[in-house]
Amino acid sequence: MLVVTYLAYFAEILPIVFYLIFLKRNKGEGLWVIFLYCVLSLLTEGIYALTQEALVFSSFIAVQFGLFTYYFYSTFKAKRFKYIAVIGAVVFCVVAISIFSKEHFNWNVESLAAILVIIYCILSLYEQIRDPETMFVYHNKKFWVIIALFIYFSSTFFLYLYSTALSDEERHTYWVINNSFEILKNILFSVSFIMKKHEITPANMEYIDN
Amino acid sequence: MTLLDVTSPGNVSVVLFFGTIGMLALTIGLIVFIIFHQRKVIRYQMKLQKMEQDQQKLLLNASIRLQEEERQRIAADLHDDAGPLLATARLYLNENLVNLDKTTQLQSIYNAKQIIDDTIQLIRNISHSLMPPTLKNFGLESAVNDLFQKISGSGSMNASSRFHDYRERLQAENELIIFRVIQELVNNILKHSNASFIHLTQNTSGNKFFIRLHHDGRGITQNDFNKLNKSNVGLGLKNIQSRLKVLHGKIFFEKDMSQTYYKVTIELVKEEEDKLQEQE
Repeated sequence: MLVVTYLAYFAEILPIVFYLIFLKRNKGEGLWVIFLYCVLSLLTEGIYALTQEALVFSSFIAVQFGLFTYYFYSTFKAKRFKYIAVIGAVVFCVVAISIFSKEHFNWNVESLAAILVIIYCILSLYEQIRDPETMFVYHNKKFWVIIALFIYFSSTFFLYLYSTALSDEERHTYWVINNSFEILKNILFSVSFIMKKHEITPANMEYIDN
Repeated sequence: MTLLDVTSPGNVSVVLFFGTIGMLALTIGLIVFIIFHQRKVIRYQMKLQKMEQDQQKLLLNASIRLQEEERQRIAADLHDDAGPLLATARLYLNENLVNLDKTTQLQSIYNAKQIIDDTIQLIRNISHSLMPPTLKNFGLESAVNDLFQKISGSGSMNASSRFHDYRERLQAENELIIFRVIQELVNNILKHSNASFIHLTQNTSGNKFFIRLHHDGRGITQNDFNKLNKSNVGLGLKNIQSRLKVLHGKIFFEKDMSQTYYKVTIELVKEEEDKLQEQE
């Protein structure tokens, strides 16, 4: 379990490093939002470890959701999906403010954020498969970011939902789920940052033809 | 009441475990479905593209073959008709050099002149078959009327045409394409249909230009046309299709409402014509 925790910490550094190494490849794709999220996530882990303040974590959840909403808002092509992102942000703000507490972190806010991000991911995937310009979805950097978020938030959704009902010890035990999918998420982010921009070539066409 | 409230404390671990596994399975399932669905769609699109390419290839082959046949016909006309005529004229002129008798000389010059006149007429006929002068000088309406008059004049069939709305001529090359299509259709009717009459009408509706041909013989329907277009036979029909493709036109073969006559409709969009003119 401890190994997974350390691996999760280490995995958080990976996308930051790869983004900086392949900075040129990731220009103009809106991936700076994800990079910023990774940096903030790493900083939050450090600050929370030092201060143990619930406010740090609450603020991070709000900023994290804001960043994801902005990312999806800027990548959605359909106007109605952009509206959904805005509505999601408003709903999140209303709920987060109404149940905000300085003393303890409310896991329901994280659950709500997870549901909204899952909805954004489904809409984004739907948009990608409908887009005639997309030859192969998995040749798209955006696709890897989306599946990273999709898998992470859908796998940890139940954990966040039941976290309030769990004791600290139980939560600590089950936190391995979060750590495992955190590793997977960061690996998928790294894949997105490392991969080249693909173009449709006759070779690609032959590949799909067979 | 939330999901959390209805879950008893002892069951939290079970719900958490199966909930996480279920969500993960759903997510991965959805991603896999998306990837395979997209591949399926791309494969289908590529299949369609390939079919279209094959069709184009067939049309191109038909057009090349037709061009070759046309060249062979012209070559045969020149070789079999103009060649011997000119050779005979040359013989008469040669005789003129050898024979010094004045009367014989005049006779052979006269004969040579007659043969040269025939050759001129022959070459004019070949030239007219390549580009009808009526079409070039007076337009599609006159050329079609001329063609139909010739058919009627032969006595084998009653042919008539009526242009309802042809005040502005189409571009010369487009007129030629339409004329060739009409020629090909009329030729097919004459050869295969055993019809007693052909009637052609032209009209426009909005930005669409229509030419309709009716006849009372044996004809083909759209299904037959599509089948022939995909097969290796029906060179003339492929030629019609490839010519109309240049004009972004359509052709429909059908039986009349009364099931008595066969109808062929050529549909062209006038805007295309304007666009073509703009591009030029």
